[in-house]
Amino acid sequence: MLWLYLHFPHLLLDHLRRDRENPQAMVIVESTGQRVVQACPEARNQGISASMRLKTAISLVPELAIVRAEADREARILEDQARWLYRYAAHISLVPPDGLLAEVSSLQKLYGGLPAVWQTVEQALNEHQLTAWAAIGHTPLSGRLLARAGTGEYTADKEHVLRALKQMPLSAAEFDDKTSTRLQRLGLNTLGEVFALPAPELARRLSPETLAHVQKIQGTRPDPRSPWQPPHTFRQQADFIQEIEHSQGLLFPLQRILSELEEDLCWRQQDTDTLFLVLRHRHEEDTRLRIRTAGPEHRSESFLDLIRLRLEQKPLRAPVISLALSVRRFLGREAPAGQDLLGETQDLNEAWHTLISRLQARLGELSLTRLSPQADHRPEHAWSATPVQQSHRIRQAIPAHFPRRPLWLLKGPQPLAEQPVAWLSGPERISGGWWDSQRVMRDYYIAQLKSGQLAWVFRDVQEGWFVHGWFG
Amino acid sequence: MSELLNTLMQDARVWQGHRHQQTTQPSELTGYQILDNQLGGIGWPKGALSECLQDVHGIGELHLVLPLMQRLTQADKTVFWLNPPQIPYAPALAREGVNLDQVVLVHTSDANDFLWTLENCLRSPVTGLVLAWPGKLASRDVRRLQLAAEAGSNVCILFRERQHAGQNSPAALRLELAPETNQALSIHVLKRRGSWPGQHCSLAMAHRADLSFQEAPRVIQGPWPDNRR
Repeated sequence: MLWLYLHFPHLLLDHLRRDRENPQAMVIVESTGQRVVQACPEARNQGISASMRLKTAISLVPELAIVRAEADREARILEDQARWLYRYAAHISLVPPDGLLAEVSSLQKLYGGLPAVWQTVEQALNEHQLTAWAAIGHTPLSGRLLARAGTGEYTADKEHVLRALKQMPLSAAEFDDKTSTRLQRLGLNTLGEVFALPAPELARRLSPETLAHVQKIQGTRPDPRSPWQPPHTFRQQADFIQEIEHSQGLLFPLQRILSELEEDLCWRQQDTDTLFLVLRHRHEEDTRLRIRTAGPEHRSESFLDLIRLRLEQKPLRAPVISLALSVRRFLGREAPAGQDLLGETQDLNEAWHTLISRLQARLGELSLTRLSPQADHRPEHAWSATPVQQSHRIRQAIPAHFPRRPLWLLKGPQPLAEQPVAWLSGPERISGGWWDSQRVMRDYYIAQLKSGQLAWVFRDVQEGWFVHGWFG
Repeated sequence: MSELLNTLMQDARVWQGHRHQQTTQPSELTGYQILDNQLGGIGWPKGALSECLQDVHGIGELHLVLPLMQRLTQADKTVFWLNPPQIPYAPALAREGVNLDQVVLVHTSDANDFLWTLENCLRSPVTGLVLAWPGKLASRDVRRLQLAAEAGSNVCILFRERQHAGQNSPAALRLELAPETNQALSIHVLKRRGSWPGQHCSLAMAHRADLSFQEAPRVIQGPWPDNRR
């Protein structure tokens, strides 16, 4: 078995930097806020280095952007990386806080050799704008040690790996502090010298755990790793160092996230119709937006278009410190219908979705309605309006016979203010509604008013006269 | 150059008063033979605005567009109703053979949204017909809508008040609607592209309330005595 280990030396920094249009000097400080943990290239050029005191760094670069390291945030970012790596490798395990382990010996045949595997991974790393130190080892731990030491090579040769390990200084071998000191006191300096010790002595004089560690590096003791399973949802987050005050500024990071979503959806061969966008503010409650498309969709441009419309409609309540986009609902993808071989005719179904989604995003979902007749005698209950949803686009069974009704129904009956000039037909008695206490007892007539309008008028049981519709 | 001129003549963009020529603008027939004849066999122009000017509802204005609406919804084209003044009554539309799956009602809250929505509907290939009740429109906005209509190839009918008849409008077809005796609808052509305006015709619309055309209004005096009103 061969293991590819990816060590991300400054993952949080990479994550933050790629959502900025013009990178400036930035450092990550430890959670107590005393020392610099990671520094970006711009910061390093100006003389800042890791493990420098924060005060010194600020005096070197006054406009330094400072981010505090948080363990759970880093774990989340690491999982994001596992998500894309999963497209290339099946067996992945996470090594928090900054490592990923992938089993690659089974991939050699698929990709055509180890160099090809490496090339694929390197390309993906570049696409995601990540810095990673990689190494291949014959055990998970050997890969990890080599990667972290920065001496990783792409070789399937076990002897070669062992040689490299033997030259490794003890300090890089990740023994715990106590063991490390004891080994040094014994006069051992490299890992190779530890390997040379007889195993029973090592366990007896030091500890069984030390022996286990050494054997796991060498590969003489099993080191099972539980495989990581990709979640069934999509979630991406962008954190901002400087608060974003205008919705325009959100579009740049959103573009990246949405293109990742598109890639993810293409890879799953699925579509979605609902996106959840959460905007975090420093002092106020989060803004939660639900972006719906009228039909299944996977293209990032159309999502971006809808989000842009939504953001234009509603200005930001407060500056945004981070945004998270998640998708929980996935739909199977359908083959585009009605498309000819050359793709010259437009897909009307898709155009319909696009139009309806755009209108709904700007006007609100309730502004678009579709009508349908209902089985009721009372005119105001004989129709219903439902919000437009593509999924329920089933042809309704239309009853064979409808009585003559006007094309315009008034929103509520209006009192009849004048004597009609002509009575044309009637009466038609409509009586019902005793079952839901909206009793209707009316005699309907068709009458012509002085203005020339044909009105549908009724006289109710209290003998009042009302207009209920126009024959348009 | 002469090719360009020919195109302008063909599309009836240059109006030639001395010569009435059959033009080739894309259009949809109204479904009323009399009106089609008056409009030179053209009907509702596609890719351009049409205006219907009327004072009150309920004079047969919807029945004027009903044949087109039936045809388009059966052909799976969407019909948008934008800010209708009253509720389009679903049972009546279904009775007339309109496929309600293709009818979408849109309500907008302000003029900006209205124009934006109308533009989007007009540009989409799925739209067949847009019926819009704009309320107040500046002539600049009508121009904007005309440009949007030209971008697509749909029929767009604006229902406006008769007081706008005097207003200059870039719409390709302008009809003035008024009620007439026997529930008929009188149509006066205020403007049409490529020919003289001024035609007048009257369409029998009594069938919209199931009344036979010849029948003199049957005066029903009951069931109330006159003095009770």
